[in-house]
Amino acid sequence: MGKTLFEKIWESHVVVEKQDAPSLIYIDRHLVHEVTSPQAFDGLRMSNRKVRRPDLTIATMDHNVPTTDRSLPILDQTSSIQIQTLEKNCKDFGIKLFDINSPNQGIVHVIGPQLGITLPGTTIVCGDSHTSTHGAFGALALGIGTSDVEHVLASQTMWLEKPKPFEIRVEGKRKNPHAVTAKDIVLSIIKNIGTGGGTGTVIEYRGEGITDLSMEQRMTICNMSIEAGARAGLIAPDEKTFDYLRGREYTPKNYESLVDSWRENLKTDGDAKFEKQFTLHIDDIAPQVSWGTNPGMTCDVTESIPTPDDFSKGDVNQKKGAEKALDYMDLKPGTPIEDIKIDRVFIGSCTNARLEDLIEASKVIKGQKISPHVKAMVVPGSQMVKKQAEEMGLDKIFIDANFEWREAGCSMCLGMNPDILSPGERCASTSNRNFEGRQGTGGRTHLVSPVMAAAAAIKGHFVDVRKMDLS
Amino acid sequence: MKGNVIKYDRDNIDTDVIIPGQYLKVHDYAELATHAMEGLDPDFHSKVKEGDFILSGKNFGCGSSREHAPIALSHSGIKAVLALSFARIFYRNAVDGAFLLPIEIEQDAYDGISEGDEISIDVSTNEIKNITKNQTYKMKPFSEIIGKIIAAGGLFKYKPDQD
Repeated sequence: MGKTLFEKIWESHVVVEKQDAPSLIYIDRHLVHEVTSPQAFDGLRMSNRKVRRPDLTIATMDHNVPTTDRSLPILDQTSSIQIQTLEKNCKDFGIKLFDINSPNQGIVHVIGPQLGITLPGTTIVCGDSHTSTHGAFGALALGIGTSDVEHVLASQTMWLEKPKPFEIRVEGKRKNPHAVTAKDIVLSIIKNIGTGGGTGTVIEYRGEGITDLSMEQRMTICNMSIEAGARAGLIAPDEKTFDYLRGREYTPKNYESLVDSWRENLKTDGDAKFEKQFTLHIDDIAPQVSWGTNPGMTCDVTESIPTPDDFSKGDVNQKKGAEKALDYMDLKPGTPIEDIKIDRVFIGSCTNARLEDLIEASKVIKGQKISPHVKAMVVPGSQMVKKQAEEMGLDKIFIDANFEWREAGCSMCLGMNPDILSPGERCASTSNRNFEGRQGTGGRTHLVSPVMAAAAAIKGHFVDVRKMDLS
Repeated sequence: MKGNVIKYDRDNIDTDVIIPGQYLKVHDYAELATHAMEGLDPDFHSKVKEGDFILSGKNFGCGSSREHAPIALSHSGIKAVLALSFARIFYRNAVDGAFLLPIEIEQDAYDGISEGDEISIDVSTNEIKNITKNQTYKMKPFSEIIGKIIAAGGLFKYKPDQD
């Protein structure tokens, strides 16, 4: 019987195979950031261990770096200590660090692909759940906790129970690909399969609706695999993948021979079997807006807030969850999504802060001003994205529209730095999680695409962006 | 193991409510514990006692990979989380660091156990006894390797070559 892409990568990385138990797998790339690594380095010191492969370990600081003027000292003492700790750990253990002043600094999942560190067919781990992003390149990319970070630092391996392959087919063509984006595709998937729909699996996204996407759009899809509960999500590499990585700073010297082998091997065989299957037809899907407190609580922009009964379809806990979500979000069933007024707009995060995201958002706001009651910010995913955007003059478009234009980092996606919502504030956000308090205590998050976030900033409420001229 | 239950009667308890992002800079575990569950239940810290259990629905611990989540619960005194299902990274973090036991339960235990009930858990027989209500439920057994890692006291104490 044939094998899935995931099974091929798995088999080429197994060090010790165990039936019905975790296997030890080799890790090709380990990405490290300031928040989930300090205890892991302390653990190494306590047990007198070294980093096994510092040459395969890359670090940056992204989660709690300030996104304002970086020539100023960091005011938050605890953030400052965490950043200094990473600097010291990287120096002590001989790890390459892109620090706060590096032109390569940025969100770890943005810089990996951008620097050619992320490669097809590899295993990649990082102490961050959105590591699934790198799956867009046909890598098996897993988010791990701090104990596993220490294990990988010490051994370049980790134990893993073999996940089951899950095929998600995205079929058809979007009528308006500027208005209905990769974010809308992945939110539609999660809305359908649920936040636990992918538990214990590695999703392979396939079909015309996926191969049509650019690399940056594919990253948005794979990024949110974790929001469906999956261990990872991946997409078979193709010519777009190979072109994207060619000639980047850390792309291997023997790249073309690697491409030949990837082209040959990194695909799911015709007779391979998936344990689970789901198909989404995208010809007629609408822009999506989340209304609740998990990414599965999402509906079309043209719909109204559902009643807890309609949402739960008879599941008691789902109903309770919806009731609590509506209470937290201060929304009433029956309210049209387009009537929801917003206070803040955040364009950023490892989901949607790449150059294409900023280009698409800038088309919506060019020559306009944001609504007077809205505060809006753009936080590019990396300093390189910021620089490229500035070379294109995008910063001027955003600033002229009264957006704030910031330095790169995770920022308001997770509320670790000063970029947070105030209690009760409602935000149109291009990030990945609308959990209670995620963007700041009492803050209310609506997950949307960059185009929708930009349109909401201008209008002050959500709008059907298909009616706008985005060409 | 014997203790009282704090019940969160809902699915999808995420790691952002277990320990909100602003506390991921806190390295002192005792201080971290004072913020456990703060995003959902600000009274948690005042009511939790050493040896208590948390009971919840499906997909417990979804979201971020932050190991701070099981650490914060563990240092609050929580010995086990009983849930209908777990998000995998949380489950693994809980076991890896031997912070707490992630115990998968069936619907009968979820429905039968109420807030405040005293229960006992016996992982050798996979039985949960509700002492308050005099009921018994089955827990889903740990897989062999997870059981061994738990018995060893965490990932770094487990020695696979001795199997």
